[in-house]
Amino acid sequence: MSAALPHHLTSLQLRDIAMTEPALKLEQVEKSFDKVRAVDKVSLEVNTGEFFSLLGPSGSGKTTLLRIIAGLETPGNGTVHIGGRDVTRLPPYARGIGMVFQDFLLFPHKIVADNIIFPLKMQRLPEDKQKEQLNWILSLVRMEGYEDRYPHQLSGGQKQRVALARGLVSRPDILLLDEPLANLDLELRKEMEVEMRRFQAELDIPFIYVTHNQEEALTLSSRMAVMHNGKFEQVGAKLDLYNNPKTRFVAAFLGSPNYIQGQIKRMEGTIAILDWRGLDLRIPAPANATSGDKIDYFLKHERILIQSLRESEPAKGENRFEGTLRDIIFKGQHSAYFVVLENGEELVVNAATEMPSLKIRHAVEVGWLPEAGDAFLKEED
Amino acid sequence: MAAVSPKERVVVVSQSSLLVFLYIFLYFPIFFIIYVSFVDNTVWPFPPVFTWEWYERLWIMSDFHLGLLNSFLIGIGTGALSSIFAASAAIGLLKYQSRLRGLFAVLYLSPLFVAGILIGISSLMFHRNILGLPGNLTSAILANTTQALSFAFLVILAQLTRYDWRMDEAAMVFGARPARCFWEVTLPTIWPSVLGAFLVSFILAFNNLEVTFYNVGAIPTLPTIAWGTLRHGIEPELYSLATVINGLVFFILIILFFLIRLGFVRLGYRGQ
Ligand SMILES: Nc1ncnc2c1ncn2[C@@H]1O[C@H](COP(=O)(O)OP(=O)(O)OP(=O)(O)O)[C@@H](O)[C@H]1O
Ligand SMILES: [Mg+2]
Repeated sequence: MSAALPHHLTSLQLRDIAMTEPALKLEQVEKSFDKVRAVDKVSLEVNTGEFFSLLGPSGSGKTTLLRIIAGLETPGNGTVHIGGRDVTRLPPYARGIGMVFQDFLLFPHKIVADNIIFPLKMQRLPEDKQKEQLNWILSLVRMEGYEDRYPHQLSGGQKQRVALARGLVSRPDILLLDEPLANLDLELRKEMEVEMRRFQAELDIPFIYVTHNQEEALTLSSRMAVMHNGKFEQVGAKLDLYNNPKTRFVAAFLGSPNYIQGQIKRMEGTIAILDWRGLDLRIPAPANATSGDKIDYFLKHERILIQSLRESEPAKGENRFEGTLRDIIFKGQHSAYFVVLENGEELVVNAATEMPSLKIRHAVEVGWLPEAGDAFLKEED
Repeated sequence: MAAVSPKERVVVVSQSSLLVFLYIFLYFPIFFIIYVSFVDNTVWPFPPVFTWEWYERLWIMSDFHLGLLNSFLIGIGTGALSSIFAASAAIGLLKYQSRLRGLFAVLYLSPLFVAGILIGISSLMFHRNILGLPGNLTSAILANTTQALSFAFLVILAQLTRYDWRMDEAAMVFGARPARCFWEVTLPTIWPSVLGAFLVSFILAFNNLEVTFYNVGAIPTLPTIAWGTLRHGIEPELYSLATVINGLVFFILIILFFLIRLGFVRLGYRGQ
């Protein structure tokens, strides 16, 4: 059960609802360190109530972008608007945001209660109101009874809850989270993922969530951006990014797909026939592709059909190959099947765990339609 | 107990004797002077004939009370100035990344390598000729600060290098202006080192002769009284005076020790 909101907040909530400006707007934001272009012309709008993830590999500029939003870095170019207000030149303490850091950064000399009310104290909220807010947020993050502990007396998960409480207690216009779950073990991470969504939904504060863990981003967010070398590769609804990657990087990154390299033998309208180390593979032709072009084709594990030999007829235009089942790795509801094809290439297929007809070292058949994967011209570099 | 070979025994015995010799070398003069300050037969104090006479003479010595007070004032003034300046210097050095960091650090530390007497004389000239400051307590405090600042800087820097400046960033994001950050977050974490720096500078200035001597004018302090007494030959009052000075310094060290022992002061903040 979530605690009731103290009523002085209702007017804030009303204001939020009435607000038509995006909660966060970035325009052409840039930041360089010496020779490194950490953030490169990034534009973004995030609306009230959104759970937005910034996903990217290490060094892609996620933290730098978050720090720019927080005011901890000044962008070399571009503007930052929070709630319709231009905050580009404002220091962090004038921005009214909340933040959760990777290693929590709780104040070690303050007890939990004082850590949490710190933002309210800085706002000079009357003490009874501080107390009211504290109790409300403690029950939201389920940390009642821990008020008097010092941070070093808490477990990792509890520290994380306190860090979240401190970030949320003043009901900021926006909450920034920099890999908040990275230091937690898997089980705790799963639990906190659920909690995180609950807080976000209940408070209706937009979350900007930085992570390099795609599962986390895909689980948590409504929309997300994939970042690479300081640039946004693609921004949109998470399913859209997952299903229709627009760039080679996004296709190669999301879902950690099978990676197939080949050369176009001939074109058949919108389909290209690829020479995949001796096998003919039908793929959707990338724009401007002609025969002879080198191609990267990314095929997600769960998009492949696997069955024993000739269990079904191939659909029209389907790729069908025979191979040998090398191994099965049990992953719970689904399993990963490792199939070695006649050309020596190995494909990973995700399928249901209960498949008694498939036996290790026996022949199997795999199949998929060309559109199941995403094809890109090989990048020369 | 495992058998010890003769060779090992030789090693152990020689190492222990070296250790004992070192401690005697370090502490014998100090303990001897304390011992002598309580005996009547100071020239060859064995067997001892105990007396309070040297303390009584010290007590009625006209300059003693004033000297004690002045030494305290110089110690406190120098301690306060040094720890404040050293804290600002160390914070500035670590917080604002600069290529010239190393140079700045060396500049703060170089008074360590200048002979005290040179600092004393040059401060005297600077204070008198440039600042127009006569020899007095203020002048002595300023001169002592030039030297004590370096030690204070080292003490604070040692702890501050382990301070996580992102803590300040967190505070700032949650609405704290820089001054507030310092009071709410930085100082509560680093104050043991600032206190340590204060005590070190206090003791240095309290004990100091050569810098103080040139800058304090005609005003007595405990070390200058000791120096003055010495010029008439070694009088037994000197023993009691030295004992008093040492006693006060040890007293401060003992306070510090208990603060650490009881957990009021943690030298070196060890993170979460
Ligand atoms: N203060 C700095 N000085 C110099 N270079 C920096 C600084 N901060 C970041 N960079 C560089 O900018 C780039 C982006 O760094 P950033 O920390 O934003 O990456 P990230 O996406 O958060 O990576 P990670 O997932 O590892 O946290 C990196 O190449 C990094 O080396
Ligand atoms: Mg980062």
